[in-house]
Amino acid sequence: MPPPFEEEMKLIEKSIEDFEEGKRDNVAVISDPFYGESDLMRRAADVIGPRGLRVYARYLIRDLEILEAASEKIVMVEEAHRLYQRKIGGFLAMNRFLSFVSSSDGLFITTWNSYSWKYLDEVLGLGRHFPKKIRLSKMGTDQIREMLLSGYEEGELTFVEEVPAKAEKLTILNRSSYKKTLMGHSLEIPYPVVDMRSIRSRRTKNEKKSSEEIFFDKLARISDGNPGVAEHLWDEALDYPEVRNALKDPPSIDLDYDESFALCIVLSMGSIDVRELSLVLEPLDLSAERIAGLLEERGLVFSDGDVITIRSEALKGVVEHLRRLRLVW
Amino acid sequence: MAENLTEVYSNLSTSTPSVGTPGIAANVSSSIRSDIPALGIDSSIVMNALLVLALAYVATRIVVFLLTWFSEKVYEHRITVKMAIPLAKFAIYGFAAYHILGSVLQLSTAQLVAFSGLAGAAIGFGLKDLVAEVVGGFVIVLDKPYQVGDKVRIDDHYGEVRDIGLRATRLVSPDDSLISVSNQKILSQTLANANSGSQEMMVVIDLFIDSRSDASRAMQILREATVTSRYVYISDKRPVTILLKDRPFYRRVRAKAYVYDLRREFEFESDVTKRAWDAFKEEGIEPPKAGVVEIGDKSIADGGRSSKP
Repeated sequence: MPPPFEEEMKLIEKSIEDFEEGKRDNVAVISDPFYGESDLMRRAADVIGPRGLRVYARYLIRDLEILEAASEKIVMVEEAHRLYQRKIGGFLAMNRFLSFVSSSDGLFITTWNSYSWKYLDEVLGLGRHFPKKIRLSKMGTDQIREMLLSGYEEGELTFVEEVPAKAEKLTILNRSSYKKTLMGHSLEIPYPVVDMRSIRSRRTKNEKKSSEEIFFDKLARISDGNPGVAEHLWDEALDYPEVRNALKDPPSIDLDYDESFALCIVLSMGSIDVRELSLVLEPLDLSAERIAGLLEERGLVFSDGDVITIRSEALKGVVEHLRRLRLVW
Repeated sequence: MAENLTEVYSNLSTSTPSVGTPGIAANVSSSIRSDIPALGIDSSIVMNALLVLALAYVATRIVVFLLTWFSEKVYEHRITVKMAIPLAKFAIYGFAAYHILGSVLQLSTAQLVAFSGLAGAAIGFGLKDLVAEVVGGFVIVLDKPYQVGDKVRIDDHYGEVRDIGLRATRLVSPDDSLISVSNQKILSQTLANANSGSQEMMVVIDLFIDSRSDASRAMQILREATVTSRYVYISDKRPVTILLKDRPFYRRVRAKAYVYDLRREFEFESDVTKRAWDAFKEEGIEPPKAGVVEIGDKSIADGGRSSKP
């Protein structure tokens, strides 16, 4: 049940058309972790066909041999943020890649972690190399509901309150956004909408939200409009044909500044090998193993072998915590 | 002259105008004695006024405590919230003064004029410094050359503004000393504000290297040490700048960058310096050699002793 990516696909197709007509605007697809950008790239690869090459950035860290040897004119680089490390000497691979992008006459379609993009845009001026930016924006409650229920008949699922429902929270304003493609750029203007349903339900007892509405409101809030996180939480809640509403708000985060910085590095990559994390933290006299263990203990990351990954359900809390400390801008 | 002064004082009296009597002291004391019953001041009014002042003091302490607590909770908007502290203090004390004059003393316009005259005389004789300090405090709150939370240098004192009081501004220096500077003095002195209400603040980091070291590489390393620091804040308006200055015996590599929170100024400087020097050593970039001047193939070291290269 990935997001439809209709607008985004139109923008990529337009870039390819422009490129074939002689106008080259490299593309950066910028999204939060777990958004599902690889699905967008898969669809783009289907459209491009044999004209294009699809490669993961981690294979370009040592050298750009794959790109140099490629005959394809359209190159898709996934997770391009993996080409840098936040340490002295950590920009070599990224600078090499950007030089190659500048000197090449091919079209580059790349995906970036939004937190790494923001950092690298300030440090290296990434925006100049990728003039066309496609930001995968947050989804609203209705969009998430539509995406998750797309494979089910109406009334097929039963929504069950696991935890006794508390008095319904009064929500006056909800978030919505106006999306428009302007001069080949995706534009999103967020604006508040009055939640009349919530206000009315306070005034009249008859118009209470249904269990389904409460579930999706909470899902949208906890996932912060991230479809990947919403899907993960949906999978946990779905016990066919029942959907159990045991969604929990992200835990409050109590970390010191150095631990928060380590968490910021993990967030900027989505997932990272402890040895790579160690390369960043060692010059600061910090132990990557100790901090990784602590973050796992706090339920903020999970480890799979040596690789630690942000827990999708903790993503919103992690971002809020790091934003408060101004570790992500 | 004495007669004129006598007239002035007697005119201030509203209910019992006194005729000129010989001796200024006698006149003044008689006019004050006659004013007090006219103002209707008795012990209960004095107590009420003191009570209002005490309540204003307690209210100020509570508001300051709550605003400070709240500002630390909303860490990223700390300085914005703290801006309200001096305003709240002046508003509470202003209201208390208005209440004492208006409600407790219940002064008429003529009595207010009389009171102003007395107050003017008191200020002129003994309280002018105190009033100048309070007025200075008002000017600082309204003109905002700095706010609570800013890092400022006033005269030789440097630190974070902890409080803008009625009489003085209090700074906390980097070594945790509390410095009180009179509000009146601040207005007449040169003031440097490092952040002007922003949470981030520019920090200048200087590293000195040997003239023969690779300056370009040193600049690149210092740049990377700065942009990768965990304390750095970068945006379009807050860029990182690296500068090089050539001196006769050394080169100065300077980084100008913003720390994300002014309270981390020294940690930022220390972090960048340490990591940059670690990288300098790996790259063979050396610190200046003290007291060594190369002249052709000879060098003069330590006060003119020559040695072969």
